[in-house]
Amino acid sequence: MQLSKKIVVLGHFGVGKTSLIRRFVENSFSDNYKVSIGVHITKKVVEFEVEDTMSLILWDLEGTDDIKTIRDAYLLGTHGVVFVFDVTRPSTFQLLNSDLDIVKAKLPKTPLFVVGNKVDLVVVSELETLFKNNNIKTNFLTSAKTGETVEQMFLELAKLIK
Amino acid sequence: MVERDKVELLRDILFTEDREFAKKIAERIKIIEDTIDEREKLSEKVNPIISKQLDDFVEEIPKKLGPTITATLKEEIRKNKEEIVDALYPILGKMIKKYIAQEIKMLSDNISKQLSTKKWSNKFKSWFSGVKEEEVILSNLSVSSIEQVLLIERGSGILAASYSKTETIDEDMISGMLTAIKGFVEDAFGQKNQNLELIEYELYNIHLQSFVSYYVAVVISGNYSLEAKDKVQDLIFDFYDDFMGKNLDSLFSSDDKEKREKVSRVSLEKQLNKKFGNAII
Ligand SMILES: Nc1nc2c(ncn2[C@@H]2O[C@H](COP(=O)(O)OP(=O)(O)OP(=O)(O)O)[C@@H](O)[C@H]2O)c(=O)[nH]1
Ligand SMILES: [Mg+2]
Repeated sequence: MQLSKKIVVLGHFGVGKTSLIRRFVENSFSDNYKVSIGVHITKKVVEFEVEDTMSLILWDLEGTDDIKTIRDAYLLGTHGVVFVFDVTRPSTFQLLNSDLDIVKAKLPKTPLFVVGNKVDLVVVSELETLFKNNNIKTNFLTSAKTGETVEQMFLELAKLIK
Repeated sequence: MVERDKVELLRDILFTEDREFAKKIAERIKIIEDTIDEREKLSEKVNPIISKQLDDFVEEIPKKLGPTITATLKEEIRKNKEEIVDALYPILGKMIKKYIAQEIKMLSDNISKQLSTKKWSNKFKSWFSGVKEEEVILSNLSVSSIEQVLLIERGSGILAASYSKTETIDEDMISGMLTAIKGFVEDAFGQKNQNLELIEYELYNIHLQSFVSYYVAVVISGNYSLEAKDKVQDLIFDFYDDFMGKNLDSLFSSDDKEKREKVSRVSLEKQLNKKFGNAII
């Protein structure tokens, strides 16, 4: 039987959640920003080896600046979480640690990746000091625009929850 | 010794031995007879004792072992609460439904009696609803059919099994979307324990029947009448009852929750196909 796992992608407005999923699923990107409303669900089958596959059911949640307001109904039965922030907008990561605490309280024991997106717009070395000063730890730095580490990030998560 | 005496003597010897031999044998036989007799006497005495003890034993089992069995069962139920409740759900659902159906049938029988004939009831409906009588008759006859059935894990929205009359868009995604819609509606408008039951979508009705760990979505085309709903619910309850029965079987066949084999998707889909594939609603 094909293994299916639910992954939710969440974070503040416009950080690139939808773009990351689109890059991963369709390998495409658009500069147009269409605000997501509600939830959008897509599927991507990943292959670890021949005949060893997994269906990732990706829940793209609408962005919110108040993580507390995320509907619990959308989080039920989640196998893996991707929390995305925008490296160019400090407002999306200034409260990162308390945001993450809220997510962890809603989804205890669920594997969670912290992802800083839009790295194509910044100099990575400058980021490192910025993160150090704000006590921020990330699992991945990605760019939905160039595709940098996007697939790698989702595959790592898939392996983790297998 | 004369010849005659010799013979006599010999006969005497022989006869004596004969007699003694016969005596010995007779004694043996007597002993054996006695033993047998005694055994019979014994078993006459013993048998009722044994059967009485057996009876007592059977009577005693619930008293002596009962608490142990109950404790084991309780522990088993406590450990697997969700599965047990899930297994009871369709049974209770069926009972409640039967009861309500019975009440409604009595009510409608009464109405029918008062209206005397079906023809009149149609006329009546037509007068009241403003719909042409022919259309009322037609709507009574119009068919609905099951297009698709999805067994979906609650919460995660992950598809466990499906039946589909025709190829459709990705069922994993439909399952996810239905779950998101259901979650949103229940979250936003309902108190807890209220379930979204029907989604109308253009020409289709999607009936959602919620259980504890899963819910079943049935996509119906055509006129989804109350009668059709009744039949669809029966099909769902039957299917789920069967599924949970198998689930419990596998639950009790292994102590290790992790190692337990889930009811396979193949067998679930076979069952869905059998139950819903040829169903007339
Ligand atoms: N340069 C650059 N732009 C990006 C990147 N990812 C997303 N964007 C742009 O950022 C904007 C928002 O992207 P979305 O993917 O819609 O963001 P979102 O998080 O889904 O937004 P909401 O769903 O409304 O919360 C769009 O204009 C994207 O083109 C990236 O990696 N680099
Ligand atoms: Mg979006």
